[in-house]
Amino acid sequence: MNFKVRVAEVSWLTQEVVSVWVEAPDVTGKTKPGQFFGVKVNKRGDLLLRRPLSVADVRGDFLRFIFKVVGKGTVELSRTKPGDGWDVLGPLGKPAPIFKGRDVVVCGGGVGAAPLLFLTRVLKEKNRVNVILGAKTASELILVNDFRRLKVKVILATDDGSAGEKGFVTQPAMRAIKTLLKPVVFACGPRSMLKFLMENVDQVPVWGFLEERMGCGVGICYCCAVERREGGYLRLCKDGPVVFLNEVRL
Amino acid sequence: MKGEVVVGGVRFANPVLAASGTFGYGVEFKGIANRLGGIVTKGVTLEERAGNPPPRIAEVPSGIVNSVGLENPGLIKFKRQILPKLKKIKTRILVNVAGFEVDEFIRLAEGLEEENIDGLELNLSCPNVSEGGAVFGQTPQKVEEITRAVRKRTKKLLVVKLTANFVDPRETAKAAEAAGADAVTVINTLYGLILDDNGRPFLGGRTGGISGPAIKPFALFCVDRVAAAVKIPVIGCGGIISGRDAFDFLCAGARLVQVGSANLTAPNGALRVLQELKIIISEKRIKGWESIVGTARRG
Ligand SMILES: Cc1cc2nc3c(=O)[nH]c(=O)nc-3n(C[C@H](O)[C@H](O)[C@H](O)COP(=O)(O)OP(=O)(O)OC[C@H]3O[C@@H](n4cnc5c(N)ncnc54)[C@H](O)[C@@H]3O)c2cc1C
Ligand SMILES: Cc1cc2nc3c(=O)[nH]c(=O)nc-3n(C[C@H](O)[C@H](O)[C@H](O)COP(=O)(O)O)c2cc1C
Ligand code: FES
Repeated sequence: MNFKVRVAEVSWLTQEVVSVWVEAPDVTGKTKPGQFFGVKVNKRGDLLLRRPLSVADVRGDFLRFIFKVVGKGTVELSRTKPGDGWDVLGPLGKPAPIFKGRDVVVCGGGVGAAPLLFLTRVLKEKNRVNVILGAKTASELILVNDFRRLKVKVILATDDGSAGEKGFVTQPAMRAIKTLLKPVVFACGPRSMLKFLMENVDQVPVWGFLEERMGCGVGICYCCAVERREGGYLRLCKDGPVVFLNEVRL
Repeated sequence: MKGEVVVGGVRFANPVLAASGTFGYGVEFKGIANRLGGIVTKGVTLEERAGNPPPRIAEVPSGIVNSVGLENPGLIKFKRQILPKLKKIKTRILVNVAGFEVDEFIRLAEGLEEENIDGLELNLSCPNVSEGGAVFGQTPQKVEEITRAVRKRTKKLLVVKLTANFVDPRETAKAAEAAGADAVTVINTLYGLILDDNGRPFLGGRTGGISGPAIKPFALFCVDRVAAAVKIPVIGCGGIISGRDAFDFLCAGARLVQVGSANLTAPNGALRVLQELKIIISEKRIKGWESIVGTARRG
């Protein structure tokens, strides 16, 4: 159920992206990559729904959330200060599959890099991980040093060429995928990016971190529908948010 | 036992229920369900329904607008897959049923009559297919026709959930009462339209239903009026997120209340309402729920 955590550290990674560490000793041990928390925005009740935020990292007793300020809820959450209490519900969702002995390509677009950091930390123990991060421009790339500290290969791309390769993040991602033997791909970013990867790789499994508007986050309201290829919908909050992309229609 | 509420001969351990569509089928959080007065399942239709395309939910100031579109496995799978689990829950269970033809309500009632549930809640908010889309709950005649047809086929608690969209719920409540309903739930969601930045409908189902604190004053108003118009019990619903809200509905004339959107803020939303309500009742030294029901009407 929901519980209180204490905000330990707040920092801005770019002009729009905030990193928040919270102290949550009771759940760090059972939180897995791919999972998310529902964060309550305010007590007044004018913003009723929790905001789903992926776990960007776990260290000791601390959980890290990284979010882009896009609307009323994230504006309010971005005003948080160390010492504040957050009301959170989680960990929610199905953890990402954890492979062993594979070549993994991890591809993040924009703030999509956030949940891939925790995933990479866990995957790199037993796999060779190639991290590819992209953004519109250099100042919007996040977590590059955090990934580098994990001692994994990091490739960068920006639309304007201000850092790394010029162009979409999918270019170096496709190159990496093609040079590897039996790779597995994890991708988080805009739907167009996930769609491109899925349509352009052959026989390579792609796992995508999807987003959909959520009500409850726990599987009881059926609001977070994502279309299944075989018909009907899956509930992203229970069956995801990390989804084998071949199973859904993007 | 002290604290019980009896409606249509069925005993509820306390007056707080989880509203349809906001608590799954009740089996997802059994521990919470067991402590509530009862739960109303997500709507079940005769045939399986995929529901509306996403997005299915949007937030508005102090409320939400949903267009789930009755995604559900249909009666047969509901009976096979969900009912066995529902039987393990020790609280009152009402199955919310919805249909697009009168005949569908009849078959749903017949199909559930032998099952170990406490009652049916008729969701009359679906468009009537054979009459080209007018919503069943919008005319007293249709409410009466469906309620009467279902009443003939069920001995269980029969609750009719009324809409307040384009209709005076006092009239539809009287129709339900005349046709043999044991209680009426007041109200279902209110119509809502959300536009995106380009001025087009945002929700995949085009329009949706508004719920949450934003609709509470109107729901309370409807309960007050309907309670004065009929003798059968009224179940209050609409915008209850605190014990105080529930208290207000009881005072306005509701015998039971249902908590909907608050369950989306955390699965224990309805339970929190109950706990807060109990505190209010004990602080005011009120003995038994009955004594506050309808105080708003007593001058
Ligand atoms: C499983 C999951 C994990 C996520 N993890 C992250 C993350 O780590 N970092 C990050 O920056 N963003 C993440 N998002 C997106 C984030 O939840 C939204 O950006 C945020 O809810 C926007 O809220 P708002 O009030 O600022 O925006 P508003 O547009 O004012 O929000 C209104 C409503 O829409 C919902 N909403 C808006 N955008 C989204 C969206 N993209 N997905 C789901 N609900 C949305 C809000 O919850 C709220 O109910 C995640 C989404 C999901 C589904
Ligand atoms: C996501 C969602 C799904 C719902 N599904 C149903 C349903 O299947 N049948 C029904 O009669 N009412 C349904 N409702 C309406 C609620 O049961 C309730 O009447 C309404 O939300 C008002 O109460 P509230 O303000 O406490 O949420 C649904 C509401 C929501 C928010
Ligand atoms: S958000 Fe409620 S079922 Fe997924």
